Amino acid sequence: MSDALTISNATVPGRITSVSLALAPGVMAGLVGPNGSGKSTLLQVASGLLSPGPGDVRWSGVPLARIPILERGRRASWVPQEAHFEFGFTVRSVVAQGRYAHDDDGKHVDETLARFDLTALAHRPVTRLSGGERQRVLLARAHATAAPLQLWDEPLAALDPRHALKILLLGNKHTRAGGTLLFSLHDLRMAYILDMVVVMHEGRLRAAGKPADVLTPELLLEVFGVRAEITSSLSFALP
Amino acid sequence: MNNGENNSSGGRESATAAKRARPSHQRSFFILHFPLFISIVLLAGLCVVSLCVGDMNLSPARTLDGLLRRDELATFVIWNMRLPRLLVAMLIGGALASSGLVMQAYFRNSLASPGLLGVSAGGTAGAVVAIGAGFAAGTFFLLPFASIAGAFIATACVIALARRGAGTERLLLAGIALNAMLGAVSSYVLSNATLTYERNAQILFWLLGGLEDRTWEHVMMASPILLAALLLWPLGRQMDLLSLGADEAQSLGVDVRRLRGWLLVLSTVLTALATAVTGTVGFVGLVVPHIFRLLVGPEHRRLVPLSLVGGAAFVVACDLIGREAGGLRIGIVTSLIGGPFFLWLLRRQA
Repeated sequence: MSDALTISNATVPGRITSVSLALAPGVMAGLVGPNGSGKSTLLQVASGLLSPGPGDVRWSGVPLARIPILERGRRASWVPQEAHFEFGFTVRSVVAQGRYAHDDDGKHVDETLARFDLTALAHRPVTRLSGGERQRVLLARAHATAAPLQLWDEPLAALDPRHALKILLLGNKHTRAGGTLLFSLHDLRMAYILDMVVVMHEGRLRAAGKPADVLTPELLLEVFGVRAEITSSLSFALP
Repeated sequence: MNNGENNSSGGRESATAAKRARPSHQRSFFILHFPLFISIVLLAGLCVVSLCVGDMNLSPARTLDGLLRRDELATFVIWNMRLPRLLVAMLIGGALASSGLVMQAYFRNSLASPGLLGVSAGGTAGAVVAIGAGFAAGTFFLLPFASIAGAFIATACVIALARRGAGTERLLLAGIALNAMLGAVSSYVLSNATLTYERNAQILFWLLGGLEDRTWEHVMMASPILLAALLLWPLGRQMDLLSLGADEAQSLGVDVRRLRGWLLVLSTVLTALATAVTGTVGFVGLVVPHIFRLLVGPEHRRLVPLSLVGGAAFVVACDLIGREAGGLRIGIVTSLIGGPFFLWLLRRQA
């Protein structure tokens, strides 16, 4: 079975250099790295929004160039770091946009609204939402696409602990069902519990693999400039 | 039809609800376009008034006689004067309003307008140069072509900048610069002392915008607006996605580059044709989409036809007001109405 996402030798001048990465189906991977290390660029390359330069991006073994844009909307979904809404579409209609590549069939929309705690906000214009609510709307739209490959840029940054946990659990459910999720994050403790962690440093892929193998004290000191030790800490679960 | 509110809980329940609840854009055609039907009725009413009222007021019955060529004087007034004027007003109104709507979706900025890219200024500059050079005095059809050429040069400049990967801010600044440069071209020709009085008067006509003495040739010239409008119609859904972000739209399956190309060409052609036929008529592309967005929300599948019909109604109404006010040119009326209205909108938004 071919990998869900294969990036080889991707280069975006001034941002990332010769990045190669493969994600198997069913993997929930965290993308970590200091600010400006190329996480967002890598996600945009993976989603086909930026050219990989001399490199190559494949979804399930198929080169991106051979997948029509409409079909890409069914296979993968990318969520930007920050949402800027100029027009007052309702929450529901924005989430329903996730079905664009599916002929606007309206499937999963109400179910998705409920899962992301957005049902009460369904008819509110997105211009009147808080930052965290806007983030949830974008994630809900990506979820509504039912695309197997999900690429999220710092999905948890604006969320409160409960919703962050919910999003992680939804991501987990998605990957347990055979989907693939790659998302960037800054919380290294969170990254530690994922299936896989990808470390970017100065535009290059520094390491990728199981968190316990990758996030060693030496690497954390080198890449992030922090001294790390494993201790027991505060952890959350949904009641 | 839309029962999205009462299916918040439970997988099975929401699964059946999802079957019943169709997304807003798949509502029945009538519900979706109900405001459009109202606008069409309004436009039809305005058309009737516009044909009846003028220097010589005609009763509706006599107007009908004129339309059916049963009354000689009425026939002359209707077919030679009022009908072509009305048709031109409708066409340029629809063109300018929909062109503005497209620009707003393209730039994700509800304050954008066709004038923003310098397209209107390009059209005006083209016409003014043609008049100044004395071409327009001989050949009637050359003037609109010069105007269209000017508008396309302006758009070409913007597209050239966009190809180099310009962001929205850069495009907006390019539009401002183009507007200033093309405005300077017009000013130069106008202030050139070698011009005759007659040419200066013609140039002023272009700068003010007018529907006076419109003939069937003008209607013919403006008629491609209908074709452009038809091409624009099915792009509404994609404009929805684009208006919330180009990368996001692309990720959801919209061919953004192609869509943007179409939108840019269509909005340029619409503005250029309108400018070619009546000169500069401001604020239509800014005010009309804005009003309808306030009334029916931001869905472009509704806004595209509404802007076409509503823009037509707006310009016909402004023309009526101008005529009743003793012959104010359309460009003056749209600015006098559109300007304050837009300032009021701005204040409301703040």
